[in-house]
Amino acid sequence: MAGVEGDGVKVGGVSSRSGLIGGAAAVVGALAFSRVGRLFEIGEALAAPSKGQDIRILQLVLQLEYTQVAFYEQALAQAGLSGELRDFAQTALGHERAHLAAIKSALGPTANAKPGFDFGEKTKSADRFRKAAIELEDIAVAGYNGQAANLTKQTLAAAAEIVSVEARHAAWVRAIAGEIAAPEPIDTPMTAKQVADGLHEIGLRA
Amino acid sequence: MEGEAGFYEFLAAVDRDGAIAETKAVAEASLSRRRLLALVTGGAGALLLSRVGEARAASLSKSDVSILNYALVLEYLQSSFYTEAERNGALSGETAKAARIVGAVERAHVKAFRKLLGLQAVKRPTFNFQGTTEQQEPFLKTAVAFEDLAVAAYKGQAPKLQSKPVLVAAVGIHSVEARHAAWMRELFGITPAVRAFDKPASRARIDEIVASTHFIVKAPKMKSREKPKSTG
Repeated sequence: MAGVEGDGVKVGGVSSRSGLIGGAAAVVGALAFSRVGRLFEIGEALAAPSKGQDIRILQLVLQLEYTQVAFYEQALAQAGLSGELRDFAQTALGHERAHLAAIKSALGPTANAKPGFDFGEKTKSADRFRKAAIELEDIAVAGYNGQAANLTKQTLAAAAEIVSVEARHAAWVRAIAGEIAAPEPIDTPMTAKQVADGLHEIGLRA
Repeated sequence: MEGEAGFYEFLAAVDRDGAIAETKAVAEASLSRRRLLALVTGGAGALLLSRVGEARAASLSKSDVSILNYALVLEYLQSSFYTEAERNGALSGETAKAARIVGAVERAHVKAFRKLLGLQAVKRPTFNFQGTTEQQEPFLKTAVAFEDLAVAAYKGQAPKLQSKPVLVAAVGIHSVEARHAAWMRELFGITPAVRAFDKPASRARIDEIVASTHFIVKAPKMKSREKPKSTG
């Protein structure tokens, strides 16, 4: 997207007030009550896509993007990254910041605040960082994919511009690690609960 | 979750031919323990059995059939490309290894779409890859272009799908194509992820790009009566 790099914030390349921004902004008032408690309940028995449901899902992926930004920031400061791994971390951080800004902007004042993190040793050495980065990016792909059928078509189109970038990150860091970059014919989706568990395992402390 | 059931159902369509096994065998070692565990304990088998056979061409809308056939042509293009490069022995090292896995996956996608579409599946076009499957350098350059194209194509079409199980399967394939794109870019020595947001491309734009390659020498026909084949 031009979005966060440019002047006006456009979400995921959806240039009019459609997509994430339009869909979300329209219901921001009505959903001001929707907070963290309901966040991770998404996924099992969902109603048909609606703008209200989009908001709850956006809060979930907001947590995901917060985690990624914090993870890459800390790793770049503390893990002693060098070479291609450092290039990867810097590039991914730039992308995750843009995703975070887009989702925050779409949610407006209802966006949940930045949670706390404790990544432990994962952001303190190149080896552990690489391993955790693979897990985190795979979770991001599975998390977005898991919500695809629950989103309105407009928001899905915007989210689709993000998920393939997460998949590129996942493949990139896997390739750097000498792992198979695309191990499955179809990426297995995760439910919101599985995403939440995965993020907490990595270091989300909300 | 309904989407997941659809996903496993789709997976089942592929697996009955053992196509996934081909990929899985190579990939298993790299799956993290957590994901392997999720695969084993996720109830996949039960869901699989109960849902297999629900999404069939007969129950798909005209629009979905059209999108799936369009995706099938792109998968034919990719699978034939990788298969031909492999058969030509044009590749070596990491590139050969990656192409073997990616080729197997693209063949699995072809099988899955053919299974879903049944008699409504378009036939495989005749391709001429203009020498790009004979040497590693042009192979990689073309692979990068194909994979980036596939990502943009799936992204443009997936939100238009009406069937929920098919939509869930399509987004799962979309992200796999993005992984392939990044992988081929890495092997080619260019940045795997250039922008924060990947753009979709319209069908017309994709058609234009594919036509410009002159790789398709004989257009696909509708109403295939050919049985699904195991070759790429």
